[in-house]
Amino acid sequence: MKNFLKAASLAVCSGGLAMAASISTVHADEWPSDDVRLVVPYAPGGTTDVLSRRVADLLQEELDANVVVENRPGAGSTVATGRLARGGRDVDHTILMASPGHTIGAAIYPDLAYDPVEDFVFLQNLIDIPNVMVVPADSPYDSVEAFVEAAREENMTFSHSGVGSSIHMSGELFKTLTETNMTAVPFAGSGAALPALLGGDVDVSFENMPTVLSHIKSGDLKALAVTSAERSEHLPDVPTLREVGDYNLDQFVTTAWFGLIAHESFPQEAQDAMQEALEAVMQREEFLDFANQLGAEPGQVAGEEFKQFIAAEVERWQGVAEEAGIRQ
Amino acid sequence: MEIVSEVLQLFLHPENFLAIALGVVIGVVVGSIPGLTATMAVALALPFTFSMEPVAAILLLVGIYKGGMYGGSITAILIRTPGSPASACTLLDGYPMAQQGHAKKALKTALYSSVIADFISNIALIFFAAYLAKIALNFGAPEFFWLICFSLTIIISLASGSMIKGLLAALMGILLSLVGLDEVFGSQRLTFGNYNLMDSISFIPLLIGLFAIPEIIEFYRKKAVPHIKAKASGAGLSLAELKRCLKSIVRGSLIGVIIGAIPGTGATAAAFISYSDARRRSPRRDNFGKGEVEGVAASEAGNNGVAGATMIPLLSLGIPGDVITAIILGAFMVHGLTPGPILFQENLPLIYALFMGIMFSSLVLLVVGNGAIKYFSLIADIPKAILFPIVLMFCVYGAYAVNNDTFDVWLMLGFGVLGYIFNRAAIPAAPFLIGFILGPMFEDNLRRSLLIGGNDLSIFMRGPITWFFIALTLGSIVLALYRYVTARRLPTRADTSQDAP
Repeated sequence: MKNFLKAASLAVCSGGLAMAASISTVHADEWPSDDVRLVVPYAPGGTTDVLSRRVADLLQEELDANVVVENRPGAGSTVATGRLARGGRDVDHTILMASPGHTIGAAIYPDLAYDPVEDFVFLQNLIDIPNVMVVPADSPYDSVEAFVEAAREENMTFSHSGVGSSIHMSGELFKTLTETNMTAVPFAGSGAALPALLGGDVDVSFENMPTVLSHIKSGDLKALAVTSAERSEHLPDVPTLREVGDYNLDQFVTTAWFGLIAHESFPQEAQDAMQEALEAVMQREEFLDFANQLGAEPGQVAGEEFKQFIAAEVERWQGVAEEAGIRQ
Repeated sequence: MEIVSEVLQLFLHPENFLAIALGVVIGVVVGSIPGLTATMAVALALPFTFSMEPVAAILLLVGIYKGGMYGGSITAILIRTPGSPASACTLLDGYPMAQQGHAKKALKTALYSSVIADFISNIALIFFAAYLAKIALNFGAPEFFWLICFSLTIIISLASGSMIKGLLAALMGILLSLVGLDEVFGSQRLTFGNYNLMDSISFIPLLIGLFAIPEIIEFYRKKAVPHIKAKASGAGLSLAELKRCLKSIVRGSLIGVIIGAIPGTGATAAAFISYSDARRRSPRRDNFGKGEVEGVAASEAGNNGVAGATMIPLLSLGIPGDVITAIILGAFMVHGLTPGPILFQENLPLIYALFMGIMFSSLVLLVVGNGAIKYFSLIADIPKAILFPIVLMFCVYGAYAVNNDTFDVWLMLGFGVLGYIFNRAAIPAAPFLIGFILGPMFEDNLRRSLLIGGNDLSIFMRGPITWFFIALTLGSIVLALYRYVTARRLPTRADTSQDAP
């Protein structure tokens, strides 16, 4: 008992000390004058979370300030994004890791209290992960053309990792563009969806590249196409959907993008400092290695260009969601 | 011979041993704090592993996973607050044991069965990975559907006392599990337009509310309850008792292994399935839920049996079965390794070194667990008047910590009231939890099967696995009905089950 109390009081004391130590003493006249808060709108463990923590580590060194990662999951990232949009006390030191949920969420959630484009400043698109159109190894279809022709005759099923995921929306976009018969089969995440694809229970999927890359290389899955604008260096022999050309697929370019955004009132000085730091981060060997392991390409757009990209994405997914009848 | 020296070279590194030990310690501590789950700890530890050697990095994460799986049972037993969802089942018998002054015995039972299950799970991983992975791939939505049907028949066996109350509780659990987004169409169900409910009701606030809060209310309502000295220094688990539980532990471990090998089911379901299997078979069936050693053993064996087995689909197929293994997959990839068949061809020594580390981690769990029991069981000696305010604080913190949201705190308190009503009305909580956990799996797999099969019902009878589970389900229902009817014919037995919680 005595020992326990002693240990407990020791824990309280050391906790207090740790808190005291974490209060940083950065100069108040230049940004950042405080810890930078990086909000992850998803639970710990997903791609967004892992990427954010890697970036936070590197950003910390470039900014010479603490970068604290905070998970705030809920309603497909719209809870955290809504909170950021509302602003608040520390909004000039808060950044958020946005991903396709930002644009798709805007398309499928009703009564969003924020404007996904105008309420934010768009700092930097960090990485893009292409999706891959994959079929089981023993599938009779060896090309996108063969698949589309067959899907116009009979109903096909495609697996996805949850309503509103980039995998789901890619499937819906494909169905709309090619005017085929396809049924979406939902799973709780890519991990649960993969066995159905490997076992041949579903006909096709538009999975994120890192999830299926090893299965393509081992021959368990056949890649028919990648969804990015250019071929991926991980799968140089696989054509892009854009290359297929027919069936309106020349319009099919989509990636799972990840990038940092902030509140619309984020000070110009802070934007400049972040821009500089992020450019440095993206040059770092550690960052490039990490992106490569994810099967990702470094992001292309920043600032105003990034914003225009988001605006176009929101418009596109709104169209797809309407066509597919998805509205939450 | 060359490979042996290569494996040893990879494994015999002080860094590896440190990683395992540190991982298990972190896991046990984090797992025992309500609201902090092993998943969070693994996610938070991930960035630190980037700069480590691959073997040490993976072993650190695996250590946290295993420690966390056990750690959750500590607070479940001592303060009726499950540290993690998977240990919810452990408290059904663990807490009554602690109340009767057998806290130490309950903790030791949980530890030993966890370690044995862990060991069996590791063996399965090392020797039968390829075989089990094949089964996992043949386990599609229809097979899953029947497995869940079979598991739902558990409710009948867990509805001790009144069958009506048990079914009522199960239906309430299923009803509450419907809250959130529809999986197929994405439309909102029972959310009343509240954004906080869109991701369905969080499990941890529900657990904390349902179990810990009623205990606190009950204590202050009755005021002067004589404090039962929980005797931290009391007897541990005797060899005879361990022997009696051994069958349940082994069966629970195997249940855990099979469930762990199939992506997407999880440790919580495994614990409940193992628990009810043990209850169905035990001659001391009526003592389950009132402080039965075998109940603690079965549930802990079930959830720890999952830990090693979830590595099977991960390593052999590259498929993460749950969030933790998804993070571990991330750790592999950061080190330029991709789990799957290719890894076995290209990096066999690394896999063997990992296996050695994973085996070693069971041993570490035993040592760390024993140390933890020594200190944690002191909690049982704290007078309740001092303990309960602290527990309440932990409840609030734990509910908040899940999503960093005060909404979950209100949710937790709401479930506290519900749990209190359950207690007063003698409605069993176990069927409620099973309904809540398995209800969505039942629905999702039913609808998934219909989508895959184009609404053709024949998909539900498509192969030997479905036939097997259909037979089990029917058998289980018939057996339960037979027992129910015969028990009613014997009035003396029916009377003894009146005071069931």
